[in-house]
Amino acid sequence: MTEQDQKKIADVLKQTLRPVNRQPGRDLWPAMLRRLEQRPASKPWLAVLFSPASLASVPWFDWALLAALIIGLCIYPKSIPVWLYHF
Amino acid sequence: MNTHPYLRAYMAGSAVPTMMLVVVLSGFLIARYTFQIPIPIERAIVFPMALVPNIFGLWNMFYLWLRPRRHLPIGFHGALLPFILAPVGFGLATVLGFLAATSGGLVWFHQLIVPYAFLALGFSFALIAYYLVWKYIVGFFNGVLGIA
Repeated sequence: MTEQDQKKIADVLKQTLRPVNRQPGRDLWPAMLRRLEQRPASKPWLAVLFSPASLASVPWFDWALLAALIIGLCIYPKSIPVWLYHF
Repeated sequence: MNTHPYLRAYMAGSAVPTMMLVVVLSGFLIARYTFQIPIPIERAIVFPMALVPNIFGLWNMFYLWLRPRRHLPIGFHGALLPFILAPVGFGLATVLGFLAATSGGLVWFHQLIVPYAFLALGFSFALIAYYLVWKYIVGFFNGVLGIA
């Protein structure tokens, strides 16, 4: 390929390819801000653990077990130190 | 986050009793100084402070190891732990001198008498407590640390 051919190819390529637009067609920052605002805020883990959604997913049987546990402690509060020792 | 899953399992398991330690120590202090129950705190705290968190962590590591082999729901896995912890706790309390077996029942801290008839009931309550704690709290931490 001669130097003249190379120049011809370069000219054809320049004519074919459109010049790259270095500036975006619109302002992207407001869209970026909207995206950031849509992201859910990270909640404290305790709030997630005791959130209404997670409490609602607890089956009735587990609520009954928890109630039995609390009633047992109320009936026999002297056992609380023993419980504390075993936890 | 796929690295060191057993380390994460250990941390998730030991987090619960470590956080409970404040409650345990406060309870012991209130029992001793408010209700005058002669709890030897320096000896009684050994089990909940040194052993229970480590055993929780190891038990959660065991849960992670067991999962692909013989899967047991985490609540039931946790409910098996009192079968290990209760004998260890009773043994240590006896050796450290604040639990004695008498004809009337077990005497805790030289004052609290637990009749033998209540032992089975108390143990079943322990199973319930461990089932709930493991299912909801340790399970939650496992989810947070990406090993659920």
